[in-house]
Amino acid sequence: MTTPHATTLPRWRRPRWPVPLLLVGVLLLALAVAVQLGAVPVAARDWWAPFGDDAMSGGAHVLWQLRWPRALLAVLIGASLGLAGALTQGLFRNPMADPGLLGVTSGAACAAALVLTVFAAAHASIPPAWRIAVLPASAFVGALAVCFLLDRIARWLTPGSVAGLLLTGLALNAVTMAVVGLCTYLATDEQLRSLSFWTLGSLASAQWGVVALVAVVLAASAWQARQLGHALNALALGESAAAHVGVDVGAVRRRLVIVVALLSAVAVAWCGLIAFIGLMAPHLVRGVAGADQRRLLPLAMIAGALLLLVADTVARTVVIPAEIPVGIFTSLIGGPGFLMLLRGVARQQGGHA
Amino acid sequence: MTALHWAERLPPGMLLTELDALADPEADAAQHTPDAPLLALASATVRLARRRFGPFDLRVACGERIAILGPSGAGKSTLLKLIAGESAADEGAVQLDGQPLRARHAATIARRRAVLPQSHSVAFGMPVELVVQLGRIACEPDPQQPAIVAAALNAACAGALAGRRFDTLSGGEQARVQLARVFAQLWDVRAGLLLVDEPLAALDPGLQFELMDSLQTFARQRGHALIAVLHDINQALANFDRLWLVNDGRVTADLPASRVAIPALERLYGVALRCIDDEAGGLSVLARRAVA
Repeated sequence: MTTPHATTLPRWRRPRWPVPLLLVGVLLLALAVAVQLGAVPVAARDWWAPFGDDAMSGGAHVLWQLRWPRALLAVLIGASLGLAGALTQGLFRNPMADPGLLGVTSGAACAAALVLTVFAAAHASIPPAWRIAVLPASAFVGALAVCFLLDRIARWLTPGSVAGLLLTGLALNAVTMAVVGLCTYLATDEQLRSLSFWTLGSLASAQWGVVALVAVVLAASAWQARQLGHALNALALGESAAAHVGVDVGAVRRRLVIVVALLSAVAVAWCGLIAFIGLMAPHLVRGVAGADQRRLLPLAMIAGALLLLVADTVARTVVIPAEIPVGIFTSLIGGPGFLMLLRGVARQQGGHA
Repeated sequence: MTALHWAERLPPGMLLTELDALADPEADAAQHTPDAPLLALASATVRLARRRFGPFDLRVACGERIAILGPSGAGKSTLLKLIAGESAADEGAVQLDGQPLRARHAATIARRRAVLPQSHSVAFGMPVELVVQLGRIACEPDPQQPAIVAAALNAACAGALAGRRFDTLSGGEQARVQLARVFAQLWDVRAGLLLVDEPLAALDPGLQFELMDSLQTFARQRGHALIAVLHDINQALANFDRLWLVNDGRVTADLPASRVAIPALERLYGVALRCIDDEAGGLSVLARRAVA
């Protein structure tokens, strides 16, 4: 009973640094390999092209204008999805929650689809410099709307029920995807091409400007998440117990919903629907590093980045010179992964998942 | 259970005399209203699902031990939620330290009162220490935290559970860890308020005594008032000073926990109670069917 505290440190906590260091190392290695792979071969001197005076060769152009932005976008979007998934799971106290499953990303896609088709004529009235922000902004509004609806409806219809939450998400998913379908039906041929990009999910739109914008949003969200980490831990006790220990649950919930909506919106606005990264990344990390959100959140970001980078690299190299949209690829892998997760959760809770 | 026994369970360097040095100056400053009771309910009323609970007019002084008794669905937990600030009073007021509960920040209230919930579930396989640490989230950053967490675990007879995952514990072990979390929250507070909702339900008798003893010792040493929703009349009579009898959404009687309360208890539950005086001078009752 009176063993000294120092000797009772939990076993899983001992490798305090190796897990993050290992993950970052693997991520850097994967980045270096990812930019090397592809249809166009890259020579060693192409790596130094931006720093020399010579005109860029084809290989250097592919490396610096296509592959690096794309690989970095994969890392940033993967990190956003991982963080959004981890925050959603914390918010709903549930390892099965994910912005994709709950319809938040579909909400963003729905708003974006409306902007692309039904309100396409309204674009002309917006100054050209601002147009780049129209899609992300509308996606944010859509994601935020679904987040608040989900929170309200699930709490009202089925308070405290996991199944109720997932089913509410399913219903919202159906409604928003129906609106996306309606937009597809109304779209012109050109609009149809951009729309199919949404629903499949792809990182092909990567440019340095987009990378910079996503990096800014991700940094701001990560800073918020860092502040909310311990409050998220308290939420695991249940909302009333979290309030009893002194957490302002309402404020924490509002901030979480906004951050999740922002992250989902950014991912959807530039890369469409990429499923299962947000679900699997936090889950994999929780198995290795424990459930403390202050550790989980950064690790889920790194794991999500790694997952999406590997998935995208495989998706664009497996059938050279064509490529598979990465959203299809993550769903093909993520679906079975989700079933395995379901099995694990069901075992733990004696079948009452 | 003596104070000496208690002191033996504290880790070295965490003796009782040091507790005064740990006391939070802010928590003491919160008691600036002299003569105000620790807790006061003035015609406080709650409406839940078209049912009206109250009006409650109750006062609790520092260090009092009160058991809330009543049949299922009578409103015991609702009354406790009202006191905890979890449900807001639709009419009337609830005051802690002479100040309205609603006007104070959640973190400030958390430094004065702790709540042990009825259900123990914690999401995501959290480690035991982290669950106990969460009791002190309102005082972070806090250099004393590791020492207090370890001491609180020992005080709740849960020292051996350190390093385990909460979701792998048995029901009784989870109850001890939650108790340790509540202890950690009020560890360095004086004359605070401890609210407990059926802490011992579904635990075996040995563990019930053990946890009730830890709870009583903890509250007595720090002068905390203790308000507990209970099902077991004997536990209420043995460990508490006052009984609030709740029926149909109202406190029907506020009695000392002694033989005086027996007729009211019989009416409350619709049973006949036979009193048994045990050798230590305590009072136990045996419930039988009421004779029509």
